[in-house]
Amino acid sequence: MSETTIVETGKRPEVASSSPGEWIRKNLFSNIPNTILTIVFGVFALYAIRGLLGFILSGERRWEAVATNMRLLMAQGYPANQFVRVWVALGCLMVLTGLSLAIWNAKGQLPIKKISNWTMNIGFGLMLFAVLAPISPSSRLGWVIAGVLFLTFGFGLWMSTKNNQNRTLDSIPTVWFSFGFLGTLVLSLWIVPFGHYAFTNGELVAETGRTVAMSTKLPFTVMWVLLVCSYCVIIRVRDYLPTGQAKALLVGLWFLSPFVLNWIVLRDPDFDYGHVISTDVPVAALFIFAGGGILYLLTKPSLGELGRLTAIALLIFGVFNWVAAFFGWYPMLQKVRISFVLLALAALIAPNFAADRRTRLKFVTGWGVLIVISHWLITAVNSPSTLELQGPTYLGGFSLTLFVAVLTLLLSFPLGVLLALGRTSSMPIARVLCTGYIESIRGVPLITILFFFSNILPLFLPQGMEIAELAAIVTGYTLFSAAYLAENVRGGLQSVMRGQYEAADAIGLTTSQRTGFIVLPQALRVSIPPLVGQAIGVFKETSLVAIIGAYDILRIANNVVPAQTEFLGVKREGLLLVSVIYFIVAFSMSKYSQRLEERVGLGER
Amino acid sequence: MSTETTNENRSDMIVCENVDKWFGDFQALKGVSATIAEQEVVVVLGPSGSGKSTWIRCINRLEAHQQGTIIVDGVELTNDLRNIEKIRSEVGMVFQQFNLFPHISVLDNVTLAPKWVRKMPKAAAEKKAEELLEMVGIPEQAAKYPGQLSGGQQQRVAIARALAMEPRIMLFDEPTSALDPEMIKEVLDVMKDLAHGGMTMMVVTHEMGFAREVADRIIFMESGEIVESGTPEHFFTNPTEDRTKLFLSQIL
Repeated sequence: MSETTIVETGKRPEVASSSPGEWIRKNLFSNIPNTILTIVFGVFALYAIRGLLGFILSGERRWEAVATNMRLLMAQGYPANQFVRVWVALGCLMVLTGLSLAIWNAKGQLPIKKISNWTMNIGFGLMLFAVLAPISPSSRLGWVIAGVLFLTFGFGLWMSTKNNQNRTLDSIPTVWFSFGFLGTLVLSLWIVPFGHYAFTNGELVAETGRTVAMSTKLPFTVMWVLLVCSYCVIIRVRDYLPTGQAKALLVGLWFLSPFVLNWIVLRDPDFDYGHVISTDVPVAALFIFAGGGILYLLTKPSLGELGRLTAIALLIFGVFNWVAAFFGWYPMLQKVRISFVLLALAALIAPNFAADRRTRLKFVTGWGVLIVISHWLITAVNSPSTLELQGPTYLGGFSLTLFVAVLTLLLSFPLGVLLALGRTSSMPIARVLCTGYIESIRGVPLITILFFFSNILPLFLPQGMEIAELAAIVTGYTLFSAAYLAENVRGGLQSVMRGQYEAADAIGLTTSQRTGFIVLPQALRVSIPPLVGQAIGVFKETSLVAIIGAYDILRIANNVVPAQTEFLGVKREGLLLVSVIYFIVAFSMSKYSQRLEERVGLGER
Repeated sequence: MSTETTNENRSDMIVCENVDKWFGDFQALKGVSATIAEQEVVVVLGPSGSGKSTWIRCINRLEAHQQGTIIVDGVELTNDLRNIEKIRSEVGMVFQQFNLFPHISVLDNVTLAPKWVRKMPKAAAEKKAEELLEMVGIPEQAAKYPGQLSGGQQQRVAIARALAMEPRIMLFDEPTSALDPEMIKEVLDVMKDLAHGGMTMMVVTHEMGFAREVADRIIFMESGEIVESGTPEHFFTNPTEDRTKLFLSQIL
């Protein structure tokens, strides 16, 4: 059999890059309509920037309102004397990040050309600022000089990549660039006079002309040092380490970190450990070992039809527990009810893991991990109070926003995928149920659902069963978001060719294997753009939780800060800051999705 | 319409009796009866729309027939899921459009079914896949993705994927129709090797040269019926039916 080989015929000719002047002529002033558009929108853009700068720098603005209330905006309700816990948690994350960067040997290189472009862009931005901002002539000169410095530096870098024949330094490691960038930011806290603003014992402290408080700059510095040092230490000794085991250990630590860090941050000083030891741990252990044993038996290859019957019996029992709870027939812990349903679902998919001993043990281990996570979640989310409560939920501000968004996304994703599969399945009952669910949820506003879950749901719950406010929010929001997510996934499912189903059938895969290995990966890849859109939407719409009484960052900026006697009616500054924060997070998600698309696009040509 | 087996000593691998298949009101198969023996290579010919693809898709139940019986390797095809899964792991199928899984590498395409259906350990499945890729002549492409291969290479991967399940029967549904002319030979060569190795094969194709050279028997279909069945020699030189003569006069 002859192979067609591609003969390499020299290198690709280098395309001569056009000079900036040519670029501008070709793209902005190529013909009369284009020229008019350029001029009109240029003037409009300059006018808009000028207006915005005027707003920000106007003497009427009271930015100290934002600076003073930064803690409130980030973590309303979190006691100030406990903040060290947050820093400890962040420090753990920093060390983990540094270790991981070193162990995985991040080799990303940042081209000097890109850096020179960024530098020149900053220079242009500074010049623009100097020209447009309403500032005194002397400070205007200062900004112009800064802009010129940046421009010259950037241009110098650019020329060095162009003329340097031996090209010793084409790029620098991304890791070191990031460390340097973060280091510069931290350093600025020590030398730039941002001013010190705080409420000390209820008294407003406002000192201009000095750097920020030690309690702010010191922790940030420690964070940076931890990150860089852990990286440097490991990169030195990396060659002597068993890399495979180190990676496994780090993955385990990352996996544990949400549990441990959450415990560090949110642990109630009066938390009832007696209950945990006497009830929570034994229940979890029982499910891990007894449930794992049942699942191990159910994955026996020779079991056949008996396995399916057992799974169905478990499912009926699991559902019956909820019916019984509704009528109050017999008491049972909520997490036990949930665990029985999980056990039934695991039993249903068990036949897919009926193979050698290793596969079966892996499956049982997965079950143990699932129980640990779900029990921890139920305990954590359903604990009615921690720390000193200053509102209906134990979180507030940006941390509430993040908590609700992250948890909702994590939980609604699997639910949405299941709903989409149900809606496209050939089983009529599943199809009708899923379609009905999706359509009815989509016909109801999010606010209605949040009201329902925080006010009306507790009336329907069986006696003695409580649901914490935050749990109600996350549950309602998850059910809402899953319906929309399901429709996005369904779009992806429809794009998978019929031939893929046929090929999977023809090699003998079962329906669930076909779905898991062939259909879903392809469908999800297609759904990345709408799913990220959905994720951004979920993040932004967390602001609606304010309606049922929770204090998220937007509500604090809009209602709490303007109500303080010192900053009566000062609202615009906070709102601008909040919109910038929302934008940064949403934009990062969008950027990340673009990279994700590039990565999973591998192999598709 | 006779369905004589060429050798009485061999067991029957596929037995079809009066198979009927409708798509809505359109009857695609009209009382198709045929028996295919072990190690026999049968080429199914016929004009487009004659039901030849539908027929071989019925044999591993990608399409369900409505009347008649199909018995594959001693198991009758019914709605019973376990029978279908059993037969599908015994019958390999190669499609006109290859239908490789584009999101996983060539090696994973080949090892997926052995690992998850046959429960073969990963190392053994990969060793087997490497042997098969060697056999179809593309061992160096294992790490690539299907989209990075040419059509002929993709079809050869598809054959390796089907063979990885160690099937007793291979079905080919127009395996070369979507290929550029220069790629057809490399696929046909693999199929010839397979036939000479003793695989039971049913091939729907328009490649007359392949049919003449490799087939033990040629079945000619038109309008959902088997019109004529016989050895290549008989079929190409001395066809009995008028419709066969007309078909041959149009394509030769």
